[in-house]
Amino acid sequence: MIEAPRRKPIANPFPAPAGKGIRKQKHSTNEIMTASQQSNPPPAPDAAVPALRLEQVGRRFGALQAVRNVTFDIARGERRGIIGPNGAGKTTLFNTICGDFPPTEGRILLFGEDISRLKPHLRARQGIGRTYQTSLLFTGLTVLENLFLAVRGAMPNRLSLLKPGAGDAALAKARDLAERVRVSNIAAEKIDTISHGQRRQVEVGMALASDPKLLMLDEPAAGLSAGERPELVKLIQDLPRDLTLILIEHDMEVALPNSDIVTVMKDGEVVVENTPDRIADDPVVQAIYLGGAH
Amino acid sequence: MPMLSRLQWAISLAVLALLLALPFLLPSFWTGNIMGRAIVYGIVAMSLTFLASYGGFISLAQTMIAGIAGYTVAVLAPTAIPLGNHWLPYWALIPLAVAAATFAGAVVGLIAVRTREIYLLMITLALAVGFSLFAQSNIDWFNGYEGIRNILGPDIFGYPFRNLYVFYYSSLLVATALYFLVLYVVKTPFGLVLQGIRDNPRRVSAIGFNVGVHRVASFALAGFIAGWGGVLITFYNIGITPGSIGIWATVNVLVMAVIGGLGHPIGAFIGALVYTLFDTFAATIYDRDRFNTLIGLVFLVIVLVSPDGLLGLFRRLTGWRTGRSVATETMEEKT
Repeated sequence: MIEAPRRKPIANPFPAPAGKGIRKQKHSTNEIMTASQQSNPPPAPDAAVPALRLEQVGRRFGALQAVRNVTFDIARGERRGIIGPNGAGKTTLFNTICGDFPPTEGRILLFGEDISRLKPHLRARQGIGRTYQTSLLFTGLTVLENLFLAVRGAMPNRLSLLKPGAGDAALAKARDLAERVRVSNIAAEKIDTISHGQRRQVEVGMALASDPKLLMLDEPAAGLSAGERPELVKLIQDLPRDLTLILIEHDMEVALPNSDIVTVMKDGEVVVENTPDRIADDPVVQAIYLGGAH
Repeated sequence: MPMLSRLQWAISLAVLALLLALPFLLPSFWTGNIMGRAIVYGIVAMSLTFLASYGGFISLAQTMIAGIAGYTVAVLAPTAIPLGNHWLPYWALIPLAVAAATFAGAVVGLIAVRTREIYLLMITLALAVGFSLFAQSNIDWFNGYEGIRNILGPDIFGYPFRNLYVFYYSSLLVATALYFLVLYVVKTPFGLVLQGIRDNPRRVSAIGFNVGVHRVASFALAGFIAGWGGVLITFYNIGITPGSIGIWATVNVLVMAVIGGLGHPIGAFIGALVYTLFDTFAATIYDRDRFNTLIGLVFLVIVLVSPDGLLGLFRRLTGWRTGRSVATETMEEKT
């Protein structure tokens, strides 16, 4: 019953140019390599391969096409804002990326690997961390237990029947995380007894626990009071710069200062993609946000 | 993350001491037919409570899984009538029976891995009814309707298992060990993931755990617990029949678990004790053959007054939080 740490051999669809470094792990797991391929160095983690590539991604729920023909690349270390009105398909796009509702059309490539058909827990192990628009936490467990599980989920020997001791590494890391998202004072409280703002902070902590390569925040400041909001914005600004980040935010005041590039969605499609300073002046965006002023 | 608070440890030890002293304080009928019986059926009820309390799964297959362990012992036991005289000794037979129940639990978990709530209830109920009907119609192995008799159990330190003290203390030992096993397991990563699945399966996947594997493992563990109960029940009844694992037996175990409260494993034993008391004394309280009416009324009153059983009632009266209840939680979600 012990679940072995595994990594599915996935052929890299974007062979990198020759002469780059060799990723040992990939080399050993890729069983379908031919002799001629082996003479060329396999794909390298070079900067040319985007952190995330969406190729004509679509998601259909019955007759409803919630996301349609979305294509874009997100570079390593980029901070991407996704804005748009309610029902634009922002959260559905997140769900296709993390696997809760896999895409019905198109492909999703994470660091060059096609993850379109992977189950959500396998995508998480590939380095995706995400938060949810409405906090999805383990309400019967304490803050520390929530963070501990999120740390354990990224480690081998996930199915363990040994109680963590005082010196447990995952437990220590969970305590550090609690410190980092500023909830260490309530670490022993059960989730159903803490405030909404504190839950939003634990949400971010859960997503950071696996040291993700791609972090997706779905309206992290949703429902926060004016007093709680700066705390969370600070949390986002303090994230390491090399972390690739996608931020869904309804509120442009939060989205624009925290994004390198902003993608605007409407009716399931990408309508504009631009830098934050230009996006506010874009006629299409103004039409969406100001109710068709142009 | 301590398993129990200091107060809880103190109470647990006090209760255990009382249980150890009980055979010397009570008439032998009470030791065997009330306390002993409540303990062995309580073990099966606890396997149900474990799944409900920590996983959020209501499984009606636990009696059937106990029955698989019981039949494994009965079919292969040295003294079995009419099939008997097998060479396998009890010390090998009992672990084999528990292993069979663990395996059966995993199979039930695998069959039901994608179902929740009412559908999970229906699938596990169908499996339970199916197995008892199979046992009833199979003559070659299970001796059909009559079942298998004369399962005396092992001798322990030279004393027969039928000895009141041997039966009582063995059952108490097994039940205590399993009870603390459950309390330990729910603080391990596996147990915490299980509670995570109860609260939010989607998040469990999102942080990298395989929900299906953990579900199947939890059913296997519940099968392990139910298996011990099944073995002891078979020794208690000196045999096993299809009727003892059929739909009524399934309902009885569910009633025990609900009366006690699905919020904490101890509820299973409290429920089993209350159930056994009514089952035994219904005739003297009211009338012969009115047991079902009486226990039905008790069940109704308890469920109406306190949806989370006697434990929930106790908790509300004392304001003491011993754990968390599935019943109150689903009610909170609905409001």
